[in-house]
Amino acid sequence: MKPVLACVALLAAHSAFGATYYLTVSGLGGEPDYEQRFQMLATDTDKLLRDSPGSDKTVETLKGSDATRAKLEAALAKIAAQANPADAFVFMMIGHGTFDGAEYKFNLPGPDISAPELAVLLNRIPASRQLIVDMTSASGGAADALKKEGRVIITATKNGSEKNATVFARFWVEALRDPAADTDKNQVITALEAFKYAQARTAAFFADSKHLATEHAQLADESHAGAFTLVRYGSAAAEVNDPAKRGLVATKEEIENKIDALKYQKDLMDAEDYRRQLTALLLQLAKTQEALEK
Amino acid sequence: MKRLALFCFCAGMLFAQGPAARPAPKAAAAPSVTLAQAEALWRAHDYKGAGHVFETLLKAEPGNAQIRVRYADLLAEQFNAADAESLYQEALKIDPGSAKAYLGLAELYSEGFDELGAQSAEAALERDPKLYHADEILARIALEDNDLKKAASYADAALTINPDAIEAIAIHSTIDLLNDKPSTWLVKIGNRGVGYADIAAALVTNRRYDDGILYYRKAIAATPDLWRAHSQLGVNLMRFGQNDEARRELEIAYNNGYTDAATANSLKLIDSYKDFETFSWPNATAPIGILKLKKSEADALRPYFEPEMKRAMATYEKKYGYKMTKPVQVEVYTNHGDFEVRVIGLPGIGGILGVTFDNIVAMDGPSARDKTEGYHWASVMWHELSHVYVLNMTNERVPRWFTEGVSVHEETATSNDWGDRLSPNIALALKQKKLLPISEMDRGFVHPTYPEQVIVSYFEAGKIVDYIVKRWGDAKMVDMIHAFAGNRETVDVIREQLKMEPEAFDKDFQADLDAQYGKTVAGFEEWTKQMRELNQSIKDDKPPSDLLQRARDLEALYPDYVDAGNPYVMAANYCLKTGNKPCAMSEFEKYSKIGGRDLGAMEQYSSLLDEAGKKKEAAAALDRMVYVFPLDASLHEKLGNLDIETGNTSEAVREFQVLVALNTGDKAGSHYNLAKAYKADGQTDKAREEDITALEAAPEYRPAQKLLLDLSGDDGKK
Repeated sequence: MKPVLACVALLAAHSAFGATYYLTVSGLGGEPDYEQRFQMLATDTDKLLRDSPGSDKTVETLKGSDATRAKLEAALAKIAAQANPADAFVFMMIGHGTFDGAEYKFNLPGPDISAPELAVLLNRIPASRQLIVDMTSASGGAADALKKEGRVIITATKNGSEKNATVFARFWVEALRDPAADTDKNQVITALEAFKYAQARTAAFFADSKHLATEHAQLADESHAGAFTLVRYGSAAAEVNDPAKRGLVATKEEIENKIDALKYQKDLMDAEDYRRQLTALLLQLAKTQEALEK
Repeated sequence: MKRLALFCFCAGMLFAQGPAARPAPKAAAAPSVTLAQAEALWRAHDYKGAGHVFETLLKAEPGNAQIRVRYADLLAEQFNAADAESLYQEALKIDPGSAKAYLGLAELYSEGFDELGAQSAEAALERDPKLYHADEILARIALEDNDLKKAASYADAALTINPDAIEAIAIHSTIDLLNDKPSTWLVKIGNRGVGYADIAAALVTNRRYDDGILYYRKAIAATPDLWRAHSQLGVNLMRFGQNDEARRELEIAYNNGYTDAATANSLKLIDSYKDFETFSWPNATAPIGILKLKKSEADALRPYFEPEMKRAMATYEKKYGYKMTKPVQVEVYTNHGDFEVRVIGLPGIGGILGVTFDNIVAMDGPSARDKTEGYHWASVMWHELSHVYVLNMTNERVPRWFTEGVSVHEETATSNDWGDRLSPNIALALKQKKLLPISEMDRGFVHPTYPEQVIVSYFEAGKIVDYIVKRWGDAKMVDMIHAFAGNRETVDVIREQLKMEPEAFDKDFQADLDAQYGKTVAGFEEWTKQMRELNQSIKDDKPPSDLLQRARDLEALYPDYVDAGNPYVMAANYCLKTGNKPCAMSEFEKYSKIGGRDLGAMEQYSSLLDEAGKKKEAAAALDRMVYVFPLDASLHEKLGNLDIETGNTSEAVREFQVLVALNTGDKAGSHYNLAKAYKADGQTDKAREEDITALEAAPEYRPAQKLLLDLSGDDGKK
């Protein structure tokens, strides 16, 4: 997904060379079935992230008895110490959550952690681009406490009152490995693309099973989510990592930015003129891509 | 005919406007109010006030059956059938001899075409033989059953007690009108609008909509404040697209307190017509065909619905030798509730999918039905369009069973795998010998005596026409249509056209049915037992080693069964599990030919054929599913790609145009596919445009970039 605003696109392009820190936590299942399901989702996520192209990334996953509050605090503290403002940080929470009307808590083996407590720890991480994906029940109750400028927040439920165990996490993980999630076909799955994919499949899940939907995923800050690279696949990742191709990559990104700018002006332009300019830019981009692949 | 509230027993009827609720009883009061006060308030149209008085009286005199009956009468008049029914039943508990409670129930039940209507009317007469309105209700029910002699007899009984009984006079008038005879009874109605409204309602029940409208107008002219007539005139005008006048009449009724479900929902439906798009041919000024589709689905459905409608009309024109003199219109609804408003108040509408009003068809669209139903929209369209021709050829003087029979016959005559298969409940009805003799077929449609009888009657009527065509040919079916146009009774037409007595026909037909389904019917219990066992073994993941043979035995015993847990898919899955793809393909092939409609199974079949290099067969397997799941994006994508591979490029263009119209989340992919199809079809300019649209959505989409370079010359301007 390409962002509409050129300035956001530039931000995305600039940040393409920063490191990304991924932290995934699967909390307390409570029952063997949930325990197994949450851990499996965390394991799958871990593998997907580790296997995805690109070397400048750190992947950490806490699950089962390791997913304690102390270990979570330690993992966040470690990232806070290592990351810098050019980096990106992705924090994914799988499991159960509770909301008592005032405060959300992420259920962990041993003491739980509340949303305000998490916010304090997350705010210490200097990475300027942060994505928090809280996929637990009642996760909508955490959104306000976790809010911060430049931080994209996704929750599986619209508020703290949606308390049933969620299915959103299952489709979120699916989005990370399904090229169908990549709607702009650029071999990059952004947070927005993954969100829309998981949201649509969650809705279809309830519709197909003829059950009333008990969760309604929410996304705060759509424009930043559209620019937030979650995973790469295919040749796009190799291009980014190949120093010999960085010139062409830069040209490509420049054309892309021109296309974004042109699209932004579309409604103000004569339709024929728009189409002519767009076609010319698309041809340039196609030729540049061809050169990159040689 | 007195019409109270609409009281429909059909599942799923939507009530946009809830019936008048019983007011909350006021605090216990001394019986300072009287029944006479309640009646006076009622007469003064202060229904709420009357209701409060009734509630007070009920509290003060809980053992008074009469109060309950009168209160129930008020609630029934105010469209609260459920509470009215409860009160009548409570009255009968207090006083089992209350003829008026039975009469009230008879009115309620007969409004819903429930068999309890006749039983209740008879119970009322047993308790009070002079309650002539019960005779009128029985006459009305007989008229609905097309038993004119019985109807006249009951009407006479009512007139013996009260020579001025208006509904009885209306029944006699209706009988004459249905027989196309001038009626001396009409003058006896005089200026009593209710009599004309009763005639109108009976004519509508007999699908004589034009005449029904005429008599509703007479009713209003005689009694301008007969709001029921205004409402029904509006409902029937709406059926013919005369929406401005329909709205005026409905609003008159509604604004004067006639707020039943039919009135309120019809007004809402008229409002929703702005969301429809109209397509007509050969042109909008003098059309022969008109198709109305919801704007949101029009681009996706039109490529299939319009050609199918044209094909059906051309087929019927040739087969029946009849050219329509007015345009044929098909309306496709995306919401079953909206469709139900179109059929509200008609008999036999439980589970109905389409309805025909003269030259206008209203039908559920694919999105109005649950995907798991396997709703075959094209069968429904052909079914209804057959009605259009038969009703017009006969000037709507055709028994219900025969026009339904022809329509059901036409579904499978079009394609063997269309239409409905023999379902287990019909097999059970055959086993229990529940089919009706041909002379009584209409009764099964209008006043069913067991829950599945309407469905069984459709099946039987269809099989009767199948049998006539098999034995005497299509021409005989057409001859019978013409014979019925002379307003003839079924028995007379059978004698004249088939040269046999109806009883002899029944015997021969039964023998033919036995030849087709005797094995299934005889083995039905064993089949049920085996099906349960095999499906349970699969559920338990413990399939028996002889599963394949047992599944095939079940297929042979009951070939028509293609629904959940069917042996074809069961066997195919077993074959796949053992790695035997040819065996799976053979099972899927049988499933497809017999009419199986599970999309997953058919996609699996298509993939196996594709893998085996049988591309055309793979496309054909999916093509069948367009008649069931035209809104499934992945179906069009797969079919479009197979069409390209098999050189059916214009079909590929259609499939991908629909994919674009379906507006899936993958805009780039849809437009790219359409670009590919255009290119394959030699339309390079359109291909380039579509490809640019794909790239506009996804500039880095590599296959689309390659196609753009391919479609553009070195200068980028090719």
